[in-house]
Amino acid sequence: MADYKFDTLSLHAGQSPDGRFGSRAVPIHQTTSYVFQDTEQAAALFNMEIGGHIYTRLTNPTVAVLEQRLAALDGGVAAVATASGMSALFVTVLAICSGGDHVVASSQMYGANINLFQHTLSRYGIETTFVKPRVDEIEGAIRENTKMVFGEVIGNPGMDIMDVPAVAAVTKAAKVPLVIDATFNTPWMIKPIEMGANIVIHSLTKWMGGHGVALGGGVIDGGNFDWGATPGKFPTITEAHFGYQGVNLWEEFGPMAFATRVRTEGMMNAGPCMAPQNAFYILQGIETLPLRMERHMANTAKMLDFLTSHDQVSWVKHPALAQHPDHETALRLMPKGQGSIISMGVKGGRAAASAFIESVGLASHLANVGDAKTLVIHPGSTTHSHITAEAMEAAGLTDDLVRISVGLEDFDDIAADFTQALKAAGRAAPRMAAE
Amino acid sequence: MKISVRGEDVFASTGGRAFDPSGDVVLFIHGSGQNHLGFMLQHRFLANRGWQAITPDFPGHGQSQGTPLTSIEAMADWLAAFMEAANIGTAHIAGHSQGALVALELAARYGDKVRSATFIASALAIPVNDYLLGLAKDREPKAIKAMMDWGHGPTGHVHDHTMPGSSHMGLGSQLMASNTPGALYADLNACNSYHGGAEAAAKVTCPTLCILSGEDKMTPIKAGRQLHAMLKGALAEIPHSGHMSITEQPWEVTQPLRRFLEAQRAEA
Repeated sequence: MADYKFDTLSLHAGQSPDGRFGSRAVPIHQTTSYVFQDTEQAAALFNMEIGGHIYTRLTNPTVAVLEQRLAALDGGVAAVATASGMSALFVTVLAICSGGDHVVASSQMYGANINLFQHTLSRYGIETTFVKPRVDEIEGAIRENTKMVFGEVIGNPGMDIMDVPAVAAVTKAAKVPLVIDATFNTPWMIKPIEMGANIVIHSLTKWMGGHGVALGGGVIDGGNFDWGATPGKFPTITEAHFGYQGVNLWEEFGPMAFATRVRTEGMMNAGPCMAPQNAFYILQGIETLPLRMERHMANTAKMLDFLTSHDQVSWVKHPALAQHPDHETALRLMPKGQGSIISMGVKGGRAAASAFIESVGLASHLANVGDAKTLVIHPGSTTHSHITAEAMEAAGLTDDLVRISVGLEDFDDIAADFTQALKAAGRAAPRMAAE
Repeated sequence: MKISVRGEDVFASTGGRAFDPSGDVVLFIHGSGQNHLGFMLQHRFLANRGWQAITPDFPGHGQSQGTPLTSIEAMADWLAAFMEAANIGTAHIAGHSQGALVALELAARYGDKVRSATFIASALAIPVNDYLLGLAKDREPKAIKAMMDWGHGPTGHVHDHTMPGSSHMGLGSQLMASNTPGALYADLNACNSYHGGAEAAAKVTCPTLCILSGEDKMTPIKAGRQLHAMLKGALAEIPHSGHMSITEQPWEVTQPLRRFLEAQRAEA
């Protein structure tokens, strides 16, 4: 029996058909807790001597199918699903870092990611140095107390590409785990763990689910980081976990020590668990991930042709375009497609950008990406509005920038909608400038 | 815990509990390219039930130093030395796959040290085909992938793990990749070169248990039954498991093992 391929795993990974009723679809186990057979089984479950479920904050059968599917698709040893992508990042940091530790993070990221490091974790003594996601800048920022390097493969919304294999070589030499937010690419486009990254996180709300009906996050443990290589450096993994029967996770669980820490601390003590119903919805989305991603890529290519030849568009940024500074890297890392997010500048600045957004009819103006439907937003005044002016400038967030998440509609209909909205932007620009 | 065996640091998991060598010791013996983590659930379960569970990493495996051993006989001798170093007088032993061949040889050579022997997913011999041996020698990652494919049954291939959120194939691959390069080839070559199974089985005098898997492609159940026929001990069969039963269907391995060990304890 050969190992199943990606499209097959998208449909089947994590689930054997239910033995009692033969349910083919993943059953929704809408329950908080599970009846123990006896006191011995209960104790064995709590002490991680046998597999099974205790309480849905820790594990749930429906959520476990999703977690196992995520691990299979990204090539990890284990995964933990969370309530959102942000909580996936938070429990990751919680599992690795303590007060006095240091993180190197990309400056080209989703605003809430930046906020978490800059304004929240700093209050607990975790310091972050933000750098452009370039190998030399990352290497130069790593210190003795650096506990993780973090970035996105495709920066949001600037579209900068992190050269994951090159950065992984640096972090491996420095004996620091490389954590990648792979939300914008999904494992269909790139599997960072196969390129040397150690931990992958996703906002499953986006392309993985694809339908915009359920929030969710995922942490995938690559199992390929040697937590014991620098004695004493990662005590949360290699020393007694007094919050959980004093277990030494590195000795007892080896490659899945990190994921076990996430579950026995992040989920146990902070509790950002995924609802079983949401796990079901996201599983339904993942079943069609390969098909949807192909269509996302095809429509993105058409959208790039449309925008780059449109008079009302002053610039277009996407890694597939030859003028993108990371074009070669993007093609090398993601030959199947370079993502379905496009940044564009609308002639006439912020006023014109606003007019465009307010004029689209088929496309939706909302704060999400990766939906099956085409979405537009002005990040500078919304998703990234809470970061500092300096961070905004560093992230390339100009006033005229509109972020487009290309959907799966018939492209002719999207093009017609954008044509009329760009016309409206053209009319608004001189009028608003005059006012 | 870490102890010194023949001058080298050896790691042995004790299931998260303090280890008392004067108690009822259960010594687990890992298979080819594996380490103590293969038995993570069995040794944790027994260690928390009053057994002194201990699973050493062979040299060059897991967290143990040293060069991988190259024959089943050498591994049996090394385990005897390990028992000496850990002050273990006698032990119930339980081996998986290659570890079961080592258990067979240990029980034959050092009968006074072995109180009972359990053989999981094993046979009198484990011949390894030239293709896999070649991969292990020259292209270890491909050999690991092949072993994951052949070693797992249906639940392993769909990543349906009893430990919620875990992946058989992913975890198994990383576990093997964490050993010293060359360890897998040394192990597989040792298995392939071992022909003393029948002779060793004839010398075994302690109580025995064979736990065999119905969908085992690496040590087919027919070969496992031949081992059982020679030993004439207890038998448990897991119908829908592949070769990696200890991780694929851990509870189905733990239950008969526990019953068997408790029976030995009651008789003693």
